Amino acid sequence: MTETLSEARDKAGRLRADIRQFYARVMPEDLKRKSRLHQVLDKDDYVRWMRLLNDQGWAIGHWPKEHGGQGWSLLERFTFEDELARLGCPWVIPFGVKYVGPVIYAFGSEEQKRRFLPRIATTEDFWAQGYSEPGAGSDLAALRTEAIREGDHYVVNGQKVWTTYAQWADWLFCLVKTARGEQAQKSISFLLIDMKSPGVTVKPIPTMDGYVHVNEVWLENVRVPAENLVGAEGEGWTYAKYLLKNERTAGALLGMACHALARLKALAREQPQISPERTAARIGELELRLLALEVASYQAVESMMRGTDHGGEASLIKLRGTELYQDIAEAAIDLLGPAGIAWDAAALHAASAPPLGPEDAGGIVKDHFYNRAATIFGGASEIQRNIVAKGVLGL
Amino acid sequence: MNMDLETAGMLRDSASRYAADNYSFLQRHAVLADPAGVSETAWRDYAELGWLALRLPEAHGGLDADPLAVGALMEVVGTRLLMEPILASALIGTGLLRSQGSAAQQDALLPQLADGTLKLAFADAEPAGGTACQVRGGRISGHKIAVLHGDIADRLIVSAADADHGGGKRLFLVDARSVEIETRRYRLVDGRGAANLHFAGVPAERLDPDDGTPAAAAIADVLDHATVACCAEALGVVRALVTTTCEYLKIRKQFGRAIGTNQALQHRAVDMFLLQEEIAALTRAAQDALSLPAAERGRIVSGAKAYVCTAARHVANEAVQMHGGLGITEELDVSHYFRRLMVNAALFGSRDEHFSRFLAATSHAQPEEMHA
Repeated sequence: MTETLSEARDKAGRLRADIRQFYARVMPEDLKRKSRLHQVLDKDDYVRWMRLLNDQGWAIGHWPKEHGGQGWSLLERFTFEDELARLGCPWVIPFGVKYVGPVIYAFGSEEQKRRFLPRIATTEDFWAQGYSEPGAGSDLAALRTEAIREGDHYVVNGQKVWTTYAQWADWLFCLVKTARGEQAQKSISFLLIDMKSPGVTVKPIPTMDGYVHVNEVWLENVRVPAENLVGAEGEGWTYAKYLLKNERTAGALLGMACHALARLKALAREQPQISPERTAARIGELELRLLALEVASYQAVESMMRGTDHGGEASLIKLRGTELYQDIAEAAIDLLGPAGIAWDAAALHAASAPPLGPEDAGGIVKDHFYNRAATIFGGASEIQRNIVAKGVLGL
Repeated sequence: MNMDLETAGMLRDSASRYAADNYSFLQRHAVLADPAGVSETAWRDYAELGWLALRLPEAHGGLDADPLAVGALMEVVGTRLLMEPILASALIGTGLLRSQGSAAQQDALLPQLADGTLKLAFADAEPAGGTACQVRGGRISGHKIAVLHGDIADRLIVSAADADHGGGKRLFLVDARSVEIETRRYRLVDGRGAANLHFAGVPAERLDPDDGTPAAAAIADVLDHATVACCAEALGVVRALVTTTCEYLKIRKQFGRAIGTNQALQHRAVDMFLLQEEIAALTRAAQDALSLPAAERGRIVSGAKAYVCTAARHVANEAVQMHGGLGITEELDVSHYFRRLMVNAALFGSRDEHFSRFLAATSHAQPEEMHA
């Protein structure tokens, strides 16, 4: 690392200030409003949002300069996600810019870099992640989707599940088995699949928040040109682990918890409380946990930059961040009272007033539902604890 | 006592059998999808099975069932997630009518409640900043919110200031179909219906109890019963969640073995079971406490509601977590149980309200008195 930590801190501080300016001056009012009401954004909203970020140079700010990025430090990456979420901005869709992009520039062919990277940066291609399968969730290596080489094509058969926004996706980056019977970690390959290919079927999985975020993706005799293999056959597991390392810096969790807590405090002021002291104490406990998460997160990021990390930091941030976020959401439901159990999905979608409570009540309820998944996806809490037990404590 | 247990046992068996045959999770999906959100067929069946006459006096052909028997039915309501207004109409509406209706009013309406031709909903809560309900010249004006099953009720029992007789709080019967009511119908998170109501001078018939029981006392009494019924319903939900989660832990395989072989998950499943047992015990204690004078029952009834809501929420969170992604889908019953518990927790007083009542009652009691 050529850059000193204090330089990185200065740059991260400037980035945070720039993001606040951006939110105040550039962020369109309709996106602000949708975010404030916790409405579900549609594809057009997300594409517009990702392009706004790209216009600032932020969508791929974490990419190396040679690939059009700004070569952000880990601290800048973390700060970027944290600050956007603190302001209550929409989700920065990670599948292209954060997940597959880095795998392509690190392991892809020159042709793949030329073909895919510019369109990832501008979200001209919308990407989805084909990892989990019905029998391979936490145990991802147990995946069974097969890609059999036939001439200059792979023929892919299998089923992926929990594929976020597959219904919008142009491309799927997919873990597939390219060899039978061998050790899982040596038989998995990383394949890029055009979602328009014959044999690709997307089936929505409605979730309890009344929307479709996740899908099943069925692959039946899908012919994929061999040139869409990233890197070497059988090395997919290595690339997936590399991708996971990029997934680790989840600054958004901290920012989301921070944003939700600010809303909770406002709710406590707006809503009459049975016992203001107990409400204050409950919020105070959450505030204390947020403080612990915040200092632990930023110190963890700096440890990673110095190379003094123990390897469990990302799990700590994921575990504590998701648990805190869920508990804040639960407290908000409690504070809303009757408004916390009313459900008018149509009103939420149309941004009209919910049946009861403040104008964002419906969105708070929706978020509470979807947040239950935060401790499940992206490495379930149980897996995170296994990682720390094995990798850090040596148990 | 034996008689009560027998009634409760019979009810539990017949309700379980009926629901298993007629109200499976798949059959319930059709009810959820229906705009009314209730099954009229099931409702007629409930009438035939005598469930809607459970709280009716024997003189009206009812069972005059005690809280234990009511709880037996409510457990099944929870386990099968029944959508119809058993709680709102057969328990609360019926209870209020029995306590506050004159003999003539009871004679006229109780038979309709028993045969299912009348569905009642109780409109009590008012919005902050709305117009308080008031009856003047026999007509009611004002706002009510969050009326459970107010979307499909035939008649409403509405609490209001009786300006025609000194302004005290009384209960009134209002035709829910009146065109002078502006109604916003909506669903609760568990799919049951509710409504916000704006009355603009709607004819209202005052309930006139022959024994002069004050309306406030009658409401408090009926809502205590409803609160305990809610605990029993939560118990039914929790039993279903514990059962289904343990089943899943046995069949779901990752890393080459059932996930239930992991000791960490076994211990969490045990904690869910322990909570289930505590919920059952507290529900039973609260059912018994309902026979105590109003001033003495609060500690146990509200203590039970406060504990049960928190415990049940923990069970639901764990059930979702251990089912992984499946836990948050529409397709699986787990998320529906999760949502039913959310509604139950907010009905008839938040945890904070019940905890406050518990605290107030407990701080007066000496430790040795606390073995009720």
